[in-house]
Amino acid sequence: MRRAVALAGGTLLLAGLALAQETPPASEDTRLPPESNPGEEVIQRRPGRSEPLQFFPPPVDPRQVPAPSAAQPRETLPVPDRWRIMQGLGYRHPWYDPYNQNVLKGDLPISAGSDWFFNLSAVSDTLLEARRLPTPVPPQTSTRAGSSDVFGQGRQSTVSETLIVSMSLIKGDTTFRPPDLELRLTPAFNVNRSAAEEDRVLFADPAKGRTRDDSQVALQEAFADVHLRNASPRYDFDSLRVGIQPFTSDFRGFVFQDVPFGVRLFGTRDNNRWQYNLAWFRRVEKDTNSGLNDIGKGLRGDDTFVANAYRQDFPAPGFTSQATAMVNRNKEDKGQYYDSNGFLTRPAAVGDERPHAYRVTYLGYNGDGHFGRMNLSVSLYAALGHDDHNPVAGRPQDIRAGFAAAELSRDFSWVRVRLNALLQSGDKDPFDDKATGFDAILENPQFAGADSSFWVRQAVPLIGGGGVALSGRNGVLASLRSSKDEGQSNFVNPGLALVGAGADIDLTPHWRLTGNLSYLQFQNTEVLGVLRNQAPPSRSIGWDASVGAQWRPFMSQNMVLSASAAALLPGEGLKQLYDTSQSGPLYSILANLLLAF
Amino acid sequence: MPADGRLAAARALVLVAAAALGCAGSSGSGPPCAPNCLSSANFLSAADVQRVIAQGVGEAQARGAAATIAVVDRVGNVLAVFQMTGAAPNAAIAGGRGVAGGLEGVTAPSTLAAIAKAITGAYLSSWGNAFSSRTAGQIVQENFNPGEAQAPSGPLYGVQFSQLSCSDVNTNAAQGSVGPKRSPLGLSADPGGLPLYKNGAVVGGVGVIADGVYGIDLNVFDVDQDTDELIAVAGSAGFAPPEDIRGERITANGHAFRFVDSESLASNPASAPAFAVLPGALVAVPGYVGAAVGTGVAFGTAASGYRPATTPALAALGAFTLVDSGDAERFPPTAGAGAGALTASEVSRILEEGLKVAQRARAQIRRPLGSAAEVSIVVVDLNGDILGLARTPDAPLFGTDVAAQKARGALLFSLANAAALIAALPAPVAGYVPAFAAFVGAGGSLDGGTAWSTRALGNLHRPMYPDGIGGTPAGPLSRPLASWSPFNVGFQLDLVQAQFLAGVGGSTATGCSGLSVATNGIQIFPGGLPIYRSGVLIGAAGVSGDGVDQDDMVAFLALSNSGLGNAPSAMRADQLSPQGSGLRYVQCPQSPFNGSTEQNVCAGL
Repeated sequence: MRRAVALAGGTLLLAGLALAQETPPASEDTRLPPESNPGEEVIQRRPGRSEPLQFFPPPVDPRQVPAPSAAQPRETLPVPDRWRIMQGLGYRHPWYDPYNQNVLKGDLPISAGSDWFFNLSAVSDTLLEARRLPTPVPPQTSTRAGSSDVFGQGRQSTVSETLIVSMSLIKGDTTFRPPDLELRLTPAFNVNRSAAEEDRVLFADPAKGRTRDDSQVALQEAFADVHLRNASPRYDFDSLRVGIQPFTSDFRGFVFQDVPFGVRLFGTRDNNRWQYNLAWFRRVEKDTNSGLNDIGKGLRGDDTFVANAYRQDFPAPGFTSQATAMVNRNKEDKGQYYDSNGFLTRPAAVGDERPHAYRVTYLGYNGDGHFGRMNLSVSLYAALGHDDHNPVAGRPQDIRAGFAAAELSRDFSWVRVRLNALLQSGDKDPFDDKATGFDAILENPQFAGADSSFWVRQAVPLIGGGGVALSGRNGVLASLRSSKDEGQSNFVNPGLALVGAGADIDLTPHWRLTGNLSYLQFQNTEVLGVLRNQAPPSRSIGWDASVGAQWRPFMSQNMVLSASAAALLPGEGLKQLYDTSQSGPLYSILANLLLAF
Repeated sequence: MPADGRLAAARALVLVAAAALGCAGSSGSGPPCAPNCLSSANFLSAADVQRVIAQGVGEAQARGAAATIAVVDRVGNVLAVFQMTGAAPNAAIAGGRGVAGGLEGVTAPSTLAAIAKAITGAYLSSWGNAFSSRTAGQIVQENFNPGEAQAPSGPLYGVQFSQLSCSDVNTNAAQGSVGPKRSPLGLSADPGGLPLYKNGAVVGGVGVIADGVYGIDLNVFDVDQDTDELIAVAGSAGFAPPEDIRGERITANGHAFRFVDSESLASNPASAPAFAVLPGALVAVPGYVGAAVGTGVAFGTAASGYRPATTPALAALGAFTLVDSGDAERFPPTAGAGAGALTASEVSRILEEGLKVAQRARAQIRRPLGSAAEVSIVVVDLNGDILGLARTPDAPLFGTDVAAQKARGALLFSLANAAALIAALPAPVAGYVPAFAAFVGAGGSLDGGTAWSTRALGNLHRPMYPDGIGGTPAGPLSRPLASWSPFNVGFQLDLVQAQFLAGVGGSTATGCSGLSVATNGIQIFPGGLPIYRSGVLIGAAGVSGDGVDQDDMVAFLALSNSGLGNAPSAMRADQLSPQGSGLRYVQCPQSPFNGSTEQNVCAGL
């Protein structure tokens, strides 16, 4: 038998045949259920309320391979448990091989007879980024002699390496039903270096120079997931997850995508056709330069309560609908918070800079799926709430804002063509008692090219208009926040309209090309006029054009090399805000290597 | 849940659709007083003055306070000072930082404090902006905003030492009704000084002191119930500025200005007691006002000291000029003294080009959005004598004196004999010369080798270097942070302190410093530039009235466009990097011109 295995080179098929060569006496196996008589009706009961399956098994054909039976003791290798059968057969793989049975990958229990599994994954994420942004010179020093204006030289670069190690201990069967308990810990280790051409870009202190090295050890996940109960014979379940855990509010991450601390009750019903979440989250402070959780700084005074439900095949098969209600309560109205580079982040250095608190209820509908051959992803949100003191308005304001986005796509063989549209309501009168600009809690939108797009990827500072950016890094909303990660939401903003088209082209199993072209404009620039004390600029932001390529040498996600380049061709509004022509084009170039174990 | 979801979706759609239909806000319309901003009816009558005082006293009574209240017109004529029975005769100057030195702890008569606060409200305001002494306090501290760590200092850092009782630009009571009048304590940073408006035009100011402390608000993030300010708010009822031009709606670097903190009055100004029965009395303040209620002048008339220029080239640009009580222009374009000096036509050209730049420039401190900057422009010769002064009609009045101070600050430090002039002054002023040279290193010997702008001087006249950055040493012209306050800043104050204190004692003698080139003192925020001909210093220009970047740009482009050009690049202070941090020579603003996409307009000039 060993020889057969060795000769077969480890293929299951031949091993199975080898086992079948011997035909032990059937009488030795007394615990087997009695053989059904050929021709006798068999009744099989399945979970749920459906009718039992009744059929007549086919008559035994003596020419067939005999039914399996217990091996003779002398010829049997002892196997510690059913997961180790293959090991017992001599199939052994090195510990670093994730493709075959591996104790580090939860393929088999930690020790024989145990029902604890361990799953380790490690991802190395290497990023090179070059960009040119409108960049101010330092107001109080000269980076170089002869700088006589506000706008300086805008090239910047970042190199960042993040190692994310995820470790799970899972108790349960892992294969046939949800695990009973999962304990997960995901530390991340980041080192990064950034460079800029002007002082006071990377540090508030202009004397600290134009290169910055930083590192961070972060905790991206640390939770216990308790399987509370099975709610149906189909393993619909209720589960409770406590700790730092990932959460995404909708299919595209428009409103809240984060790894906050929280308590989340979730589960499924009706054979997984319904999914629900009931949760409370408290955001974790972020490290400024890596964007990762900074446990050392503690939790923020920012809670989000979530109730949502997903319904598969609604309104049509192939399309999933979600309704959601989220309440974001921010109480960061005491004192100031500076980021690790020394810039005031909460409250934002804008308006009267008085600290403030707010609560917002997000009511949303999200859908994702396809109707026939058309793929559709939609998102609709209303944000209703109250800001107890908007610093631009200098007064309390009621929040009344809305958001809509849709992506329509269709596959033509190996080409997917996409159409995108997004509307973010803007604020018309910063000084009235209504804030009508939409903002998210923590967006991370996978939309319109996502981080390959200039507008989404880069944070363009509102130079001369306070310590805020037109949109956040990895954010699409024109929300005038100090920082997407560390700042507060701001509902007095210019809003955004985006229309665009894109394509994903799968050239080969190794190569994918992407392209996106979007036109962007503000909804209302009054607030930009107020913060810059200039006539409100034109609404036109411009055209965002980007191309990208992705190479997967092993046709898997274990090694992915991607690169993208984007340029923002400024419209009239941007020209009225920045020196968009003199210092060269606004661009964003990324190269990213992902290695996953 | 699905029903809720549909409702939410419907709401969101409505909101988004509504937002999509919105359009950019309007801009470019005139100030709220238009078209009657210069109406001869825009002045404070004696009855108005009485009403302001009575409303203020009514609020003071309701608060159990005993106030001293001053009312001035726009050009600083003191129209009345009323002291309630029991009002403290004096106020202590206190920056609240627990430091000693400078003016800290000096006792000043409450009457002078009230006048200074009233003048501050009037002088900082215009048809397009309403600022108060609270605003002044917000923009003269070591960070802007005060309390925002790592932020550079207030944009008008040092402006508190302008309009001094010894200024040769500002007038005193002996010169009749023409302004701008001097302020006995300079500009005030103590809340309780507000502008007064009629028909949308600024016509004066009211100043109140009741708390015995002539100080400054160090925490701008809370909302104070300031007695002085609340009395002033009550006093200004009926004369309040249009809401749209109040400081809270105006931003610099995105930071909104403070106008008043609280308007929660304890009294109803509409039912204020009659002036005749007020508890207290009008008081005479020698050099400023008698014990009577006067009538204000209408700004823009010859009696105000400000009227349209008659020099053709300047008149063609709609410029205003200063006149004396005989309606003679005080500072028409004039040639400088000495060989190679500025000619009268060169002076005129600088003023004209400056006005043209200002008229195109995006105002930083005015509404409606899209307004043009309004500034005062001064040119001085090597002696510091004013060769010409022109202004756009509505430039805030404080800039008249400040423009000259800026020109003289840039001049003083750029002179070949600057070190000798300063070293000849008594301590502690003389000591700044070696400290300056040691800190700046090469280029810091004050021997005429470096062209010093007031922006660059300001970099070195802050209690932190680089400006606003914590944990750094003070600049060589500044007091160290540990002993610094807005009443103890260093060189700028030390230069004029003796005469300032004399002014606190009632002196209105002209001449603030021991230096003839800086008769009204110097200024240490941007807008002052030296003027060279072929690398030889021949004078200086100063601009004041709008955002500091606008002031810088008007001065810088005025010199460039006039044909004289700016200081040779190699001489400019931005060639120097004291302590490893480069100085700034000039900074022109973002989006400098209305209706244009031009940017970086000062590059290479």
